[in-house]
Amino acid sequence: MIVRQGLVIGVPLLIASIIQVTLLSRLGLPGATPDLVVVTVIAVALAMGPGQGAFAGFLAGIIIDVSPPSDTVIGVNSIVYLAIGFVAGYIVDKRDLTVIVMIAVGGLACAAASLGTAVVDSLLGSPRVLWDSVPLITLTSAVYGAVLARAVVPLMQWLTRKLAPEVLLEG
Amino acid sequence: MLSGRTRIALAVLVVASLTFVILDLRGGDGPLSSARSAVSAVTGLLQRGAATVFSPITSTENWWSTWRNQAGQIVELRAENEELERALRDSASDRARADALDELLRVATAGRYRTLPAEVISVGPAQDYAWTVTIDAGSLDGIEREMTVINGQGLVGRVLKVNQTTATVALLIDASSAVGGRVATTEEIGIVAGTGRQDSLDFQLLDPLAELVIGDSLVTFGSSGGRPYAPGIPIGEVTDITGTAGQLTRVATVRPFVDVSQLSVVGVIVRPPREDPRDSVLPPRQQQAETDDTTSDDQDIPEQDGNEEADVDDGARAEVGES
Repeated sequence: MIVRQGLVIGVPLLIASIIQVTLLSRLGLPGATPDLVVVTVIAVALAMGPGQGAFAGFLAGIIIDVSPPSDTVIGVNSIVYLAIGFVAGYIVDKRDLTVIVMIAVGGLACAAASLGTAVVDSLLGSPRVLWDSVPLITLTSAVYGAVLARAVVPLMQWLTRKLAPEVLLEG
Repeated sequence: MLSGRTRIALAVLVVASLTFVILDLRGGDGPLSSARSAVSAVTGLLQRGAATVFSPITSTENWWSTWRNQAGQIVELRAENEELERALRDSASDRARADALDELLRVATAGRYRTLPAEVISVGPAQDYAWTVTIDAGSLDGIEREMTVINGQGLVGRVLKVNQTTATVALLIDASSAVGGRVATTEEIGIVAGTGRQDSLDFQLLDPLAELVIGDSLVTFGSSGGRPYAPGIPIGEVTDITGTAGQLTRVATVRPFVDVSQLSVVGVIVRPPREDPRDSVLPPRQQQAETDDTTSDDQDIPEQDGNEEADVDDGARAEVGES
């Protein structure tokens, strides 16, 4: 049961991380890169609950930090995404999830992720963060996140119903 | 509200994250780095597969920037058209000389760097502020850390990490990169540092009294042993200079020759040239302008060239600034 839940969370995250760096970041969209990984994390949180959301965030952060071409410190994204996954699952009840809520959570989560990693990276002494482009990156990231959430969250809900229906009885 | 188990699991995950941060910040060849290379070997393979699947989409012209830059392109094409018309009117001797120079440059360029071609397969997300890309060649192909990466326009960056079948390249514009640069046709050297912005690099001259003009081209000075940077590779063109001669903080803004939003095929320099190729790798147009400046008294044509280029640059920069 735990293993199956792990796969339902892990496999979509791995696919999302690969699509993100091989396709989404190369589209050359203005501002941020659409953050499919964060959207998948909150999709897990909204479909399954805060515990699974936090685990998804942790796992997503590790995948991103160790995969090429990342040059960040391992664990930075984990901490930020873990918090986002937990909070998203905690404040929204998975049994009455509306479209408005999933769009709002998607947008807020992506904004929080880009802001959060910028802050943590700066605190750890990264010379790269450009604070004058942080507003634009955060804003565009939120817009893309809201759009992606509309598609990814229902997909994750469907996967949960099919493959891990036991979580729906929890909480 | 939370069950005891959830609370414990959360605490374990947080502690694990922090442990990773501490272990990774400490550096060195711990268990973490070997785990990292093992996992990244797998994800690197998956990325290669995915890049093949997505290549029909990613290999086409970047539709968004093409659409945004159409106004800039019109200006650019008009300028190019005028230039071509003037070139047609130019005397036959001039053309013959240009052709001879072109041939000479092509021969001089060929064979000096021994490069290994590779393709960019993934790019880091913009919100990381890290300009790093993955290429589809790795240690099995003979790629090693700190090798220089170039393309047809000039310097792309250096190899940061190597896996078996992929390698991570830190681009020239990444805020962590610093390259020794030399002003073309002179001996003035300085440090070219990435700013994290696509269209600008910072160039700090070592000699604050050195002469520097907008439009000057920069080439790499070359590291010892050709790593991480081989000598003579075109870096970019000076577009702005802050501070006057003699001031301690005299920084120039340099526009890189390489357009990172259109990166696809790159070459990794596996063996640097035996001798510094000096300025011979620079694009022929700049070379010719320099030669005209120094050899002939006819200053009108090169000066017009310079003005026009500056105009086009302003247009392109304004476009980028808006987006």
